[in-house]
This record gives sequence, structure tokens and C-alpha cells, in this order.
Amino acid sequence: MNTPQELKIVFTGPMGAGKTTAIGAISDAPPVSTEVRNTDRHAHSKELTTVALDFGQMLLEDGTAVRLYGTPGQQRFSFMWEILCRGAIGLILLIDATSATATEDLRSFVETFQRFTPDQPLVIGVGRVPQGESEPLERFEQVLASEGVLAPVFGVDVRKRDDVLLLIETLLCILETRIEEPTDDA
Amino acid sequence: MMHDSPYLKPEAAAAAQRQLEAFAASTPSIALAVLTSSDGFELAAYPAQLAVAQRIAAMSSSLQALSEALAREASLSNSRDLIIESDDGTILVLGLANTAPRMSLAVVASNKENLGHLLWASRNCCKSLESGLQA
Repeated sequence: MNTPQELKIVFTGPMGAGKTTAIGAISDAPPVSTEVRNTDRHAHSKELTTVALDFGQMLLEDGTAVRLYGTPGQQRFSFMWEILCRGAIGLILLIDATSATATEDLRSFVETFQRFTPDQPLVIGVGRVPQGESEPLERFEQVLASEGVLAPVFGVDVRKRDDVLLLIETLLCILETRIEEPTDDA
Repeated sequence: MMHDSPYLKPEAAAAAQRQLEAFAASTPSIALAVLTSSDGFELAAYPAQLAVAQRIAAMSSSLQALSEALAREASLSNSRDLIIESDDGTILVLGLANTAPRMSLAVVASNKENLGHLLWASRNCCKSLESGLQA
């Protein structure tokens, strides 16, 4: 396989899912941030919120540059979602397991972003997974199954570089497998 | 629909609304003027109750945040005004000084207005909004 020199990966998910933190955890340089003060504490209690994009970059061992884009999470910024997905080779969707709307969020974001990245691989990262549950990710896998979407689901702590790298590496593995496996049409 | 901001009292929002109406009355090329919170909520608008104002508010806050990020990357100090010129008109996004949380004014005007005059009138509107919001 010829390794592309630049890849674009998009991080998305609802407000407070950890997109800005995840990009900050793996970017080689401090990310470009468009965070401002959050005035809608009904939607989320956090202090800051992204209103345009996050942008980070990391260099893989083979010299490939991976450009990391984060979307805003709120619906009112949905015009940014399609713009940011242009040219993306894959999507990482982050979900906060402790949110009351976690499974609805997953369904909604999967349905929406399948329109923008219909053929690109998708990897799900679920944050703040409750300890002690025997199958804490099962409800998310069921949502994906009901949507007919095949995507790996990981429990992650987006503050940890290795956890975020796992999502990136999984995405790249899926992509590489697709390229190497001949399709029925080929 | 206006955002019920915990940081802007209803009387302040009503006063801002009147200032935008006065701004539009004195500058006939104005098609739309929206006072926006930095996180993309419409706080006051002329004309009032126009659905597109909500979208303009969200988009203008994104653009302003991007222009500020761009200015930082270019080692420029505070980004002040954003100007978009099209064949049919002009869009301005101007930051208001000394507002917490930060606010901005998005202005959509036809191309009948000279850009310099539009900027001057819009900056004057920002000053009167700043005064009203600090009162």
C-alpha cells in the first residue's frame, strides 16, 4: 500500500463528549482552539465550548501527517459539520456514557454523519464508562446494530494519549484493510 | 427565537433591540443586524423574529472565533472586525468591547452602502450597545 502523505480525521460528538480534550491529548503541537465561554449551562455545565473547530496535527512513524479536526457539538453549529467532513478519511465519534441522552446522541450523530461521510470508517469512543457494569458498552453496540452500522466501540479516557491513539490506530487499520481487500466489483 | 441569556437582563435585551432598530433606521442599506453571544446565541436582532437571525448568530460566532484563531496564529493582536464582501452586499462581524461574556454585532447590508460608511455606522452602533450593556 502506498501511504498517503496527509490524512484528515474528524472528531465529533455532542457537547461535552471530550473532542477538544482528545485532540489536545495527541496533537504534536498545541491545537488551534475556538473555545469561548459557554452561556448555556442548561445544555452543559462546562465553562468553555467550541464554536468553530479544533485543529491539531500528529506525525505517524512512517512520516504520514494526520490532521485532526474537531467539530462543535451543538446542533446550532451543524453547518460546520459538513464543512469539516469534506476530505476526511474517517470519523471518530465520542459519546459521554454518563449523559442521560447517551444512546440517543449516538443514534443521532451516526445518522447525521453518515450523510457527510457515507463510505468512510467510523470508530466510537465512549467516555466516562461506569465501573462495575458487566457489559458497559453493550447498549451502544445495540444502537449501532439497530442502525445497521458496523463500527468498533471502545471505552476510553480522552485525557489519555494511548486511549485516543487506540481510536486513531483502529480507524487506520480499518482503512488499510479496506484498501487491501479486493471488493466484489474489482 | 431570542436566547434567554442569564448574562443579559430582559430590559438590557430590549434596549439593545431598540438600538438595532435605530441603527437600521439611520442606515437604510441594513438588511439584518444581530447582537450575538460569543457562543452563538441571538440576543437581539433587527428585524426581530426572523428565523435566519439564529443561523446568522451561530455562523458569525464561528467566523469570529476562527478569525481570532487566525490572528493568533499570525501573531497579530486582537482581531477586531471581520468583513465579507460579495457581489450583492457586505457582512460585518464586529466584536463589542468590555462585555462579559463577549458579544458581537453581525451586520448584513446591501451593496448600496459605501463600505467605509457602513463600518463607521456599525462601529457607532457597537459603541452605543456597549454603553447600554454596561449601564
